[in-house]
Amino acid sequence: MKKYWRSIEELTDSTKVKKEELSYERANKKAMITGKSLDQFASTRRDFLKVFGYSIAGAAVVASCKKPVEKAIPYLVRPEEVTPGKASYYASTYFEENEYCSVLVKVRDGRPIKIEGNELSSITRQGTSARVQASVLSLYDTSRYKTPLFNGKATTWEKVDKVVPEKLDAVKASGGELALLTPTIISPTTRSVIDQFLAKYSNIKWIQYDAVSASGMLDANEANFGKRALPAYHLDKAKVIVSVEADFLGTWLNPTAFTKQYSSRRDPDLKDGMSRHYQIESMMTLTGSNADERFVIRPSEKGVVLLNLYNAIAKVHNAPTFQVTKSSFSVQNIANDLLANQGKSLVMCGSNDPADQVIVNAINFLLGNYGHTVDMNQTMNTKQGSDQEVAKLVAEINAQKIAGIIAVDVNPVYDFPEGDKLKKAISKLDLSIALAQAKNETAAVCELVLPLPHYLEDWNDSEPITGQFSLAQPAINSLFEGRSLGVCLNNWQGVKESYRDVVKKYWEKNIFPLQNKQKKFESFWIESLRNGVFDLESKSPKQPTFNIDSINQYARSIKKAKTEKFEVVLYEMTGKGNGASANNPWIMEMPDPVSKVSWDNFAAVSPKLAVQLGVKNEDLIDVNGMKLPVFIQPGQQENTISVALGFGRNYSGKVANGAGKNCYQLIQNKDGHRIYNLTANVKKVDGTYPLAMTQTHHNMEGREIVREAVLEEYKKKADAGNEAHAKHESHHVTLYDKPDFPAHHWAMAIDLNKCTGCGNCTIACQSENNVAVIGKEQVRNRRIMHWLRIDRYYSENPENPKTYHQPVMCQHCDNAPCENVCPVSATVHSNEGINQMAYNRCVGTRYCVNNCPYKVRRFNWFKYANNDKFDFNMNNDLGKMVLNPDVTIRSRGVVEKCSFCVQRIQEKKLDAKLDNRKVKDGEIQTACMQSCPADAIVFGDLNDKNSKISKLFEHPRNYHLLEELHTLPSVGYLTKIRNSKKA
Amino acid sequence: MYINLTNQRSKRAISLLSLLLLAFILLPNALHAAKGGKNSEDIKRGKRFFMGLLPKELNHESCVSCHALTPIDTLSWNPSALEIAKVVDAKTFDEFKSSLMAPVGKKMTEVHKNFEIEEADLKRIRLYLKDLNKNGLPPAKKTYYNLILFLFLGVIITLGLVDLIFTRKIKYPFVTLLVIGLALAYQLKMVSEEAIALGRSEGYAPDQPIKFSHKIHAGENNIDCKYCHNTVEQSKSAGIPSVNLCLNCHSLVREGANSGQFEINKIHTAVMNKESVEWIRIHKLPDHVFFSHAQHVGVAGLDCNKCHGDVENMHVLKQQEDLSMGWCVNCHRETNVNMEDNEYYESFKKQHDLIKQGKQKAFTADQLGSNDCMKCHY
Repeated sequence: MKKYWRSIEELTDSTKVKKEELSYERANKKAMITGKSLDQFASTRRDFLKVFGYSIAGAAVVASCKKPVEKAIPYLVRPEEVTPGKASYYASTYFEENEYCSVLVKVRDGRPIKIEGNELSSITRQGTSARVQASVLSLYDTSRYKTPLFNGKATTWEKVDKVVPEKLDAVKASGGELALLTPTIISPTTRSVIDQFLAKYSNIKWIQYDAVSASGMLDANEANFGKRALPAYHLDKAKVIVSVEADFLGTWLNPTAFTKQYSSRRDPDLKDGMSRHYQIESMMTLTGSNADERFVIRPSEKGVVLLNLYNAIAKVHNAPTFQVTKSSFSVQNIANDLLANQGKSLVMCGSNDPADQVIVNAINFLLGNYGHTVDMNQTMNTKQGSDQEVAKLVAEINAQKIAGIIAVDVNPVYDFPEGDKLKKAISKLDLSIALAQAKNETAAVCELVLPLPHYLEDWNDSEPITGQFSLAQPAINSLFEGRSLGVCLNNWQGVKESYRDVVKKYWEKNIFPLQNKQKKFESFWIESLRNGVFDLESKSPKQPTFNIDSINQYARSIKKAKTEKFEVVLYEMTGKGNGASANNPWIMEMPDPVSKVSWDNFAAVSPKLAVQLGVKNEDLIDVNGMKLPVFIQPGQQENTISVALGFGRNYSGKVANGAGKNCYQLIQNKDGHRIYNLTANVKKVDGTYPLAMTQTHHNMEGREIVREAVLEEYKKKADAGNEAHAKHESHHVTLYDKPDFPAHHWAMAIDLNKCTGCGNCTIACQSENNVAVIGKEQVRNRRIMHWLRIDRYYSENPENPKTYHQPVMCQHCDNAPCENVCPVSATVHSNEGINQMAYNRCVGTRYCVNNCPYKVRRFNWFKYANNDKFDFNMNNDLGKMVLNPDVTIRSRGVVEKCSFCVQRIQEKKLDAKLDNRKVKDGEIQTACMQSCPADAIVFGDLNDKNSKISKLFEHPRNYHLLEELHTLPSVGYLTKIRNSKKA
Repeated sequence: MYINLTNQRSKRAISLLSLLLLAFILLPNALHAAKGGKNSEDIKRGKRFFMGLLPKELNHESCVSCHALTPIDTLSWNPSALEIAKVVDAKTFDEFKSSLMAPVGKKMTEVHKNFEIEEADLKRIRLYLKDLNKNGLPPAKKTYYNLILFLFLGVIITLGLVDLIFTRKIKYPFVTLLVIGLALAYQLKMVSEEAIALGRSEGYAPDQPIKFSHKIHAGENNIDCKYCHNTVEQSKSAGIPSVNLCLNCHSLVREGANSGQFEINKIHTAVMNKESVEWIRIHKLPDHVFFSHAQHVGVAGLDCNKCHGDVENMHVLKQQEDLSMGWCVNCHRETNVNMEDNEYYESFKKQHDLIKQGKQKAFTADQLGSNDCMKCHY
């Protein structure tokens, strides 16, 4: 049998890993929050007597205590759309950095408590990402700015509206120049407001700034097509996908939409064929871990690889070829595959160097992909920042050539290289205004800080892809005094209008005339608002004109790969992004999908390099002057060290401050482009730094967990790789009666081929089920509370392994080992096939935890709610507003686990009863399934023979985890089928 | 004073004691009055008028005989002194005078018919009520009967043990043992009873901010429960009517048969001040219990009375059942589910067929799985 492993240590010395695991179990200090040993807490005979005495007094109090009086306060005037106890859903739009998402906001009794995907969106199609899921918690962030601040002191908006225009006018009169620095703005209304504002203040220049930029790509497209924009991609139309250093499933441009498109092609039963995905990269990204074929290169080699690939294709197309050194592996196979699928293939590159991007454009052009899989007519607007402009502005600020800055929702002091220099320069400016939602490093040095609303509190619109609009509407009254940029700019020009009216007027004037389905604007507006999205009918895209000879100068600028010993890659971690939402405890505790490290960033090194440097996990190394803990990452290029951006905030909230190191300072400028891979000096230094690694938690002891096959085998034999299933099924003989499920038998199927391991489900589940955040120390103690974890396995060569992602939650076994051992019957089976957990019965013996072969049961070692030792979101009134009122908050000493979102099952069953009908297939959607961007999870009723789930359970790819144990799980997995040539 | 006192000494002692007692009673009042500053004398007199102690010849009822000195007077329909004080606080003297001496409402006119109060006294009463609104009622004394009894039994047990082990004054140890045993048993009974009742509140009938009578609304006027509790069929919560719903009737019905205008005015005040009424919650399940009215009323069609008792006859609403899990579960065991009229129950194929074939008449909720843990606890 093929060996599957989860960490390098497990591969090389599994007995040692086992010992370590046991030592964790035995360590006394685990029981304490502060890490003190148990001896210090040992109780004496006196303590016993004290406790004894107090309990008698307690009993006496019991004999005379009264129930607290609780009030029931109805509405004064109940809004028509609100039914107390029932949720309402509002369509809205999330956009931050590389994440656009159309969402539905679940509002219970006036509080947004959960984000769901909007199925009507043609871009994200009901998918979300972990960051989108967690965004609802940022609404209740205690570090948000509550009022406008002038020099750190609270002031009022009236004063601001008086002072700011005066100042602006004064600067204008004196001939000074100002800068309006914003992130990429995709809201057409806000853009129009900014344009009006700039028309009045001609001395203000508007610059868009992306912390992680796509400027190189924009420049390349401007040069090639005369259009400074990003193309819209259609991965669902691509049969061959080649990605060079583009982590399009994790962090690149718009991963949620890409995942949706990508996974729709990952079905081996697809008639026109499953897609084949080549990934060429230097570090192990989420995308690389899903690739059919993965090649490891040095980061500086990507230009060479691309040019080789171009040459191979150009040869066939009689286009000019260029002299270039040979790449470290042969690209001929990839080129052949691309050539065989012209117009149905796609090449992408994550480089910020225009030269690389021009070559990619040339390849896609030669392959005829434009108009099919790449669209330059309807472009993507999510990144528009120009590196040169930003660099110029920063130079001007540093030289004090500019009078002032209005920084809106950007944080260059933190995320621009040489931020410290910028910090001093900004504080010296005559005028510095920051608009910020929560505490950040840039706002900290500005004279005037104005609170921005959270996106769930405000009106907005967006146009992420040309012609595809969406609206955002408030789902809650403003918690604080936040006011959006559009309203501020309007006010400063003397226009006092609610932003709803501004957006509505803009839509009436500019967007309503674009369509002719709705005759009246009011009905168009209401429909768009309800749907959250409005798409123009897309014209069939054409191949744009492209002068192939123009790539000359770019191709020549591509040099061969660096020969220095080390290179470092700076990347964004999936889910965590650029650090703007770092103060979100759900995001911080979510293990990185690949490394499974939470709470910190680290220097990822390859297993070979670790041996060379003589380091192991958690040892410190010095990378260009930055001391970072080592994490040994299989699949990492040997000479490459990768470090995540978005950590090391020092002026944020309690969660983000001090977590990890800020590596934006390592970024270098090359010809005005921020370059994210550079030469590195690396040496080992003394000391260690603890990392919260969850990769070896919840071990299933190396049994046959992952089953896989390659596509060719699968085509020949439907149960390829899954032969054991039939064998185990035949062994399921029992003397006991078959369990009876009279009405429903709930079950779930997970398609390992579609699942990309992005982690959306983990956070969706956390949000739905009030799962506690426990902090780094407790995660290190292997106590992470996530009901749904994603196991990640490797196989084969540690330098370039095959990777597998497997979501594991309670398997709801029909012959559950946990149920048999509970001494108090706190966990029993329901008549709908659910493994029930009654928290109030549980006495915390943890027998069930021990007896669960899937290790999915979680024990509440502490009281995580209302406990200041766990200073995250469940110990303050603001943070607790996010809790789902339909799910109990678990107390200390009880076991919890996945309930199949029983609250949702009950809700939909009740709806069916009230409507006098049966439950429809697909009507009940668990939290993990609802927003899965890969559509990898299916939930339904096995008693309904026509349901999707029943069919999947009959599928030859279906198997159950550890089915040889006769646990009869209600969760099925579909085997992983790779579309690669070699087995 | 009705004891025949023969002994001179004991007479003196008793008069001394009664003086002390008087001082104890008067001292806090005196202190209370002293806080009022220069008006204190007027307030004091105002209070006497209110209590009916002044003037000496009263030809009508005293104020306090209708307006009790409790936070809310649940025992009668009249507003308590404190509630009146709240209203009076906002009124000028002339308004106060006219509302007292020449009221508009039918009921009040009837009761305040023969009032003859001098203007100076009216002022004093007003001052007293203002003071009452400001300082509130003197704090009610807490009672610790249960605790005292519990501790007393504890002392007996301790003494018994001391005697049994050391002093041995009682000759027959079984007597001591019996006393200890009985005391301990009674203590255990107290603890267990209180522990079982902990978190349950059968018979709980708190004072509400408005003397809303279900008997008048649901009983005498025959208003359907679902008219006010109108989300009962769709939502887990039956819904406490919002204030604007009250106005559907009470914009016309301005005076009640029992409470006059006073209680109904509270609705209008709430609307004017844009402050909702803060009712005291009676029926409350613990947080780990999920109960849905929609399931029980909307689907099963249960009568409200089944759980809430004879609400139509309650002036003051009280919790009828103990709402314990045993009570829920028992009802599930006894109640048949109407499977035929709801298509959803066709999901229970086997059971449905048995009924069709006439092999079984009906199934109880329990037999269909309503007593599974995760039907209510999640």
